[in-house]
Amino acid sequence: MSAKWRVWLGGILLAAVIGAALYFPALRRQVEKARDLTEKTAEQARRELLPPAPVNSGEPRVKAKMFWGSAANDGTLMPVTVELPLSSDPTLRAKEILNTLLAGPVDPEARTLPPDAALLGFYILPDGTAVADFSEALASSIPSGIQSEQLAVDSIIRTLQANVPKVERLKILIHGQEVDTLAGHVDLTQIFQVNGLGSEPTRPGVSDVLTAPIKKAIEKVKGATKRQ
Amino acid sequence: MLDPAHGGIDLGARGTEGIHESDVVLQFAAQVRRALEGQGFQVIQTRDGNENPSFDDRSARANAQRGAIFITLHIASTGLAGTVRTYVLPETPAVRDPSGLIPWDQAQAPFVPLSRKLGDLVQAEFAKRFKGSPEQAQAAPVRQLRTTAAPAIAVEISSVSVEERADLDRMIPGVAEAIAHGVAAFRPSYVVPAMPGTPLAAQP
Repeated sequence: MSAKWRVWLGGILLAAVIGAALYFPALRRQVEKARDLTEKTAEQARRELLPPAPVNSGEPRVKAKMFWGSAANDGTLMPVTVELPLSSDPTLRAKEILNTLLAGPVDPEARTLPPDAALLGFYILPDGTAVADFSEALASSIPSGIQSEQLAVDSIIRTLQANVPKVERLKILIHGQEVDTLAGHVDLTQIFQVNGLGSEPTRPGVSDVLTAPIKKAIEKVKGATKRQ
Repeated sequence: MLDPAHGGIDLGARGTEGIHESDVVLQFAAQVRRALEGQGFQVIQTRDGNENPSFDDRSARANAQRGAIFITLHIASTGLAGTVRTYVLPETPAVRDPSGLIPWDQAQAPFVPLSRKLGDLVQAEFAKRFKGSPEQAQAAPVRQLRTTAAPAIAVEISSVSVEERADLDRMIPGVAEAIAHGVAAFRPSYVVPAMPGTPLAAQP
């Protein structure tokens, strides 16, 4: 091979190496992006399809009390005051409050609910009983255990108690269904006392039976979940 | 009645180094059993191997025993490592149907005050042995307790997230001793109801 051809060949090889060095990182980024997209769970995809939480920017900002985990005291909740534009309509207000609770505090260690959980629906019946329907992730992503499940339920109840006086009792559904437990420990078959007579300020109580209107509301939620 | 929670395909909490709650609670149960037998108690377990009886099956075994107490053992995913907590059901009004039987799904209701007493005695023993543990039992709507017609507590140990399995293993003797002492202290205050009107739960 003549010297001229060797220079040409060397030049082509050098160009190929430079081209590969520029192209492969971009290709790798594209492959990783595609993999991330395919790894998205049905839950995440569903959450993205849900309508965004109603934010009433026109509403006056009020101080809301959110109950997240306490970094200082293991296994306890701590009230954190945040300013939010909250609706005066109790149902909208409860949705805004619960979506803020789900979004979590600044310190992720103080979270009480899984980051991928979403509120699918919220209804308040005329007797003050509310039905909150959460996505499957609330049950599947929460760390298993009495303490973690109790903190999750307690944070929901105490946050509603502090901000939505109209909610007297709460029934928690998972994806439109009544479930036995949150994640194997805390009983979700019963109705939690939130406000009103007989409520305990620091702990959720339990009511004994599902009344007919509540059963009706659960059927409504189930129907709405199937349609989504 | 000792209840090692979970089992079978239900591994319970899962932590570092392949720690599964369903395995670890069996080891805790074995030592707790020995400690209770050492205090003169007869002990029955809801499971001895890798089975997973339902909540109702576990409660049914306890409800068939006269004068039993029920202790369900759990390992948490969270909490300060090396601490132990005892839970009892919150107070609920006791309901009886005209036959005198207690509805199955509220079988624990008449026993909550006794469960609270047992829970506080056991938790006081944990507080002595495991720094950072609460002084008293806490109330939580634990599903397993609701259908149990006997003084019933749930014991949860933190946690499966320890750095080494040995950290949990080191807690076993202390947990066993604390439960045995707490149950022994509770014994004099547990007056088993007389046969007529005995609170037997009616399973649906």
